[in-house]
Amino acid sequence: MYRYDEFDHQLVGERVKQFRGQVERRVSGELTEDAFKPLRLMNGVYLQLHAYMLRVAIPYGTLSSKQMRMQAHIARKYDRGYGHFTTRQNIQFNWPALDKIPDLLEELATVEMHAIQTSGNCIRNVTSDQYAAAIDGEIEDPRIISEIIRQWSTFHPEFTYLPRKFKIAVTGHDNDRAAIKLHDIGIVIKQNELGDVGYEIHVGGGQGRTPFIAKKMADFVPKAQLLAYLEAVMRVYNMLGRRDNSYKARIKIMVHETGEVEMRRLIEAEFAKIDASQMLAVPQAEIDRISAYFASPEFENLPATSATLDAAQAQDADFARWVRANVVAHKQHGYGIVNISLKPIGGVPGDATDVQMEAVADLAERYSFDEIRVTHEQNLVLPHIRLDDLKTVYDALNAHELATANLGLISDTIACPGLDYCNLANARSIPLAQEISERFADLDQQYDIGELKIKISGCINACGHHHVGHIGILGVDKKGTEFYQISLGGSADENASIGTITGRAFTEETIVDAIETVVTTYTDMRQTDERFIDTYRRVGLDPFKERLYAE
Amino acid sequence: MPNEYQLMKDGALCQDEWIYADEEVGLSDAPSIISLSRLKAEADVLRARNAKLGVQLLADGNGKTKLGEDVQELEPYLDMLSLVSIAFPTYRNGRGFSAARVLREQFNFDGELRASGEVLHDQWAMMRRCGITAFELAPSVSLETFSDAMGELTDAYQPAADDQRGALWQRHK
Repeated sequence: MYRYDEFDHQLVGERVKQFRGQVERRVSGELTEDAFKPLRLMNGVYLQLHAYMLRVAIPYGTLSSKQMRMQAHIARKYDRGYGHFTTRQNIQFNWPALDKIPDLLEELATVEMHAIQTSGNCIRNVTSDQYAAAIDGEIEDPRIISEIIRQWSTFHPEFTYLPRKFKIAVTGHDNDRAAIKLHDIGIVIKQNELGDVGYEIHVGGGQGRTPFIAKKMADFVPKAQLLAYLEAVMRVYNMLGRRDNSYKARIKIMVHETGEVEMRRLIEAEFAKIDASQMLAVPQAEIDRISAYFASPEFENLPATSATLDAAQAQDADFARWVRANVVAHKQHGYGIVNISLKPIGGVPGDATDVQMEAVADLAERYSFDEIRVTHEQNLVLPHIRLDDLKTVYDALNAHELATANLGLISDTIACPGLDYCNLANARSIPLAQEISERFADLDQQYDIGELKIKISGCINACGHHHVGHIGILGVDKKGTEFYQISLGGSADENASIGTITGRAFTEETIVDAIETVVTTYTDMRQTDERFIDTYRRVGLDPFKERLYAE
Repeated sequence: MPNEYQLMKDGALCQDEWIYADEEVGLSDAPSIISLSRLKAEADVLRARNAKLGVQLLADGNGKTKLGEDVQELEPYLDMLSLVSIAFPTYRNGRGFSAARVLREQFNFDGELRASGEVLHDQWAMMRRCGITAFELAPSVSLETFSDAMGELTDAYQPAADDQRGALWQRHK
């Protein structure tokens, strides 16, 4: 994992001091809420329905046990004993008192963390693949370039007041778990025929009220030129992106209105000018320094299978089910990637208590080379667990209600905070996620249904990623009543697609039945081992529509 | 036309020798800041004028267009210009940050770059990093407030138009 040097420490420390001054000026009344707003936003502080909310950055979703324990401490001391892991691989605290936030940030800085650029119209926290350096078939650990991008984009003097927020995601693997095509810039690490590593760049993806899949802008940007290329994209956007309407200000709208060909021409013209100076070519010594922090853990040489694991699975059916659903093959023989579901049946997606966070930290320290990952699907990962230790880890997770065996299944939903917290929402998301998971509580039934991603947003801003849910649910408000619209066929992986709306919306009373109708339509029509998304792509929307709206 | 301001230039409060010229009236011999459209329309006449000339670059379309003025349009006239005033119509509109860097780094403009309009406390240091050397500040801002704000962050991660190289490079000098 990356560790701060004196420079990083100094910068974050100075930022905390600066923010303390701003908060003092706000509390004393010297700054009005209006004048304070842009300052607090740049430090991850939002004003929500009931209180200020603080969003803490977890760069590319990687945490150490010490950092996770700090989140538990913050939840206990400054909040109500829990935190919420988000679709941006960050953590949010819903109830901190404004005048205590500088103290909170100071404590956070002691474990090399901050809340910088987790909101505002700037380059946000870079996200990446939660299985980085654990999954087989990766070209390079995506966290190395993510860390370089994090540093380059932090307090960037030119790109901190962009037309709108800007999100960058990186993957080093052909199976995209970082939803790169739904980001303002998506980066895929590639190797060319000469064996050189470089980057395929996608620009202009996004969700919100006008969803777009990103367009491929460059096939292969050599390593040394990446920052120059990124700066070119950012500058073209900052100079020519729309600012007259905040709903049309994201780069996806610019790409759409300008056209892919002209956009590419603009970027390449700017890139040629920036690259000529060589100013943004990071020295190899610095790349080596950062890479060293991501060196592979010292794995043991172990057999590919584990007798201990096999015996435990034979004895304990619940454990076997959990292994099947939540443990993914590791690149190293004798290890597995453990997914910790934060979607207990009837629970709040993405929430974890202080005690749960500490339990995960303990397990990471003892069994996973001190590493934890946060996923954009709002779960946690212990990336490097010996197969021999799986049962021990499972038992410890189970004791803290963290062993729900539903990864990628129907109850593993993404949901935004919705009307329970958010002042933009039209409808509640969390209670609906809870009802759906209760309707399909039976795990055997969930396995039978197979991979099915339900994503719920409480409003058109799409924080719950409903556009890319296999089944997407959008909360809409009609004359003060909450309704839910269904869309089908979305996907956020390497075959990314935007879902299609089925038709008129459902009421709070009928939405869960409607979801069940969609599921039954699928199970009635699927061919052997066909996933929901594949059946949908084969048969199209009509059969689902017929069943949903049959009188 | 800008509101009342005090000029902070190269880190000190100073008298502004420049005036924003009235569009409809002929230019005096005083150093004058004119609009881009006037610059383009009267370039030949202005080239013969024997006094300092500046231009203001607008960041929004004044309701007429979706975009502001393009810094690239200044390139043919740079030899005539001693000053570019970059407008920040609200603190949220950061187009001018890019205009400043293009002027400094790509056009090698070495005249005065000033920020006019709504500029926040936190933005001054970033503007300086982009090559802006003069600021039209609200009369209530003290020199001390300004200097403190400039010094809040000692270093930077990335290069820009100033002489800070950025940590990614500086660590391996």
